[in-house]
Amino acid sequence: MDATDAIPAVRLDGVCKQFAGSYAVHDLDLDIEAGHFFSLLGPSGCGKTTSLRMIGGFTDPTEGSVLLAGEDVTGLPPDKRNVNTVFQSYALFDHLSIADNIAFGLKRKGVERTEIRRRVGEMLELVQLGGLADRKPRTLSGGQRQRVALARALVNRPAVLLLDEPLAALDLKLRRQMQVELKQIQREVGITFVFVTHDQDEALTMSDRIAVMNAGRVEQCGTPEDIYEHPASNFVASFMGTSNLMTGTYRDGEVALDQGPALPVGRRTGITDGTAVSVSVRPEKIWLSDFEPGMPVLSGVIRETVYSGPTTTYLIEIAPGVTLSVLEQNTARARMEDRWSGGETVEFGWRPEHCLVLA
Amino acid sequence: MTLLRPPSATAPARPAVRPRRRRGRADRRPRVLMAVTAVFFALLYLPIGVVALFSFNSRKSLTVFGGFSLRWYHAFAHDDVLLSSLGTSLRISLVATAGSVVLGGALALGLVRCRTRLGSLAGLVMLVPLITPEIVTGVASMLLFKGLGVALSTGTVMLSEITFSISYVTVILRSRVAALNPEVEEAAMDLGATRWQALRLVTLPALLPAVLAAAVLVFALVFDDFVLAYFTTGVDPQPLSVRIYSAIRFGVQPTINAVGTLMLAGSICLIALALFIPRLFGRRGGLDILSGE
Repeated sequence: MDATDAIPAVRLDGVCKQFAGSYAVHDLDLDIEAGHFFSLLGPSGCGKTTSLRMIGGFTDPTEGSVLLAGEDVTGLPPDKRNVNTVFQSYALFDHLSIADNIAFGLKRKGVERTEIRRRVGEMLELVQLGGLADRKPRTLSGGQRQRVALARALVNRPAVLLLDEPLAALDLKLRRQMQVELKQIQREVGITFVFVTHDQDEALTMSDRIAVMNAGRVEQCGTPEDIYEHPASNFVASFMGTSNLMTGTYRDGEVALDQGPALPVGRRTGITDGTAVSVSVRPEKIWLSDFEPGMPVLSGVIRETVYSGPTTTYLIEIAPGVTLSVLEQNTARARMEDRWSGGETVEFGWRPEHCLVLA
Repeated sequence: MTLLRPPSATAPARPAVRPRRRRGRADRRPRVLMAVTAVFFALLYLPIGVVALFSFNSRKSLTVFGGFSLRWYHAFAHDDVLLSSLGTSLRISLVATAGSVVLGGALALGLVRCRTRLGSLAGLVMLVPLITPEIVTGVASMLLFKGLGVALSTGTVMLSEITFSISYVTVILRSRVAALNPEVEEAAMDLGATRWQALRLVTLPALLPAVLAAAVLVFALVFDDFVLAYFTTGVDPQPLSVRIYSAIRFGVQPTINAVGTLMLAGSICLIALALFIPRLFGRRGGLDILSGE
């Protein structure tokens, strides 16, 4: 990461966490800038939730230290840290009304009663639960409960808000809506959000920065565009959407696939001829027509056509056993009879710089 | 219907008839089972019914019903010895309930959260009082108090009853504690509550229905406990159950019928309360563990 003058809102310094002898998190260094929407992204068991729990104070690191706004809080209990958490299960207090749920943190801090009422009202408006102050959590829908959990944490104006897969339990449509809303709320309150998710779309949509984790380590940390367009490893490339990952040997601006043709990838500095590499092209970066002048064009056989409304995905076999997934907007070929179907031979091409080559 | 059926010759009218026949078979009442059930309830409640009936007897006889009267209830209301025993029993039950709920509740929390080998061992040992014959517990308690030189009194009954009841409370509460979402207590701490505040403000309210149900059960168990009370009580005042036992040895007074009927009514109220409490909190029975749901 860049060394900046500003003190990061959260810094993990060589943090390790061992459970029963094996590492859940291994030597984690992470700086999270104040005011950012920061995502910890990775498959289940990659250590992202454990990392979040160490920031929140629910789990103590085996080694290393946790700093909040430059202050070492390692070993401090959750109630002594200026962070709040939105739990995956929402963890609402079922015996309290919505208003009392939200007021819980303020009451612990001894905030004055009228002030509590005002801030709870404000929060209810922010999360659009105005009329539900006196209801019990059990009577709310999943989306509403999620908002209560968010309001209950935000009302304390923490320096950092931790969110542990808060949208995982919602259905797809509601999840999309909440993604946008959560991002708006974050911008509005200006609080640093640390968001744990296994959903790469979610991370890409919402984050200022993303740390992709795998097996207890950060594979790559950067902006969504960095992560998607310039993945630093095979893991990141394949985790961030379909990547058409293939292996071969680099030579003179081409990668000769282990099984299949040579793919034009452009000249690469830093990769010497004869190096074994993996190569990947995102499905949406492959052209099926209207090729640009000078664009290298290859051909293959359509094996599968998957229509999904705005787009169509073609599986193109370029050599026995080697298929490329190609995503095309249904713009030029909007009618079904215009699209290709199985068995037809098509031409395809890409800009060499859109090819990702990992040594 | 016949018209709508596909013209296939291999699909005769069978499917339409069969479900009806099946439903008819299930509807037929199994008379043998009903008879067995009737006999069961008769054997269970007839003796109690007789006691209740004869508590309203106008005569002193325990075999001949002379007519309706409240004289034995009147007699009980003026029997200072029985009344003081009733008071003693109520005090013992209240103290034992409070003590065992606090200790048993703490034990339940500890057993669920302390996942060590010693913890699971303690979980097993905790169950032993449930299967130990009560007379063994009674004699052992008495010998313990004698050995320690503690004079038997109402206090020793209370102590023994608490010891005896802890297991019941723990068994009821343990499953409830295990079913709690650990994130809820974490959320409380995240919002600035200390560990103790989180327990008091979040965990205990969540456990309240089960705690009340356990309390009612223990109260009822202790109130009519005889064996343990018999071995650990002092001479005076005696708990009601022990007093009734002594009274019967000198010839049965119909007053005892009145006392028994009152205790029965009290127990019914308690059980109703135990079933009703969880509804107050808008969830299913705190006595699940008793009704086997």
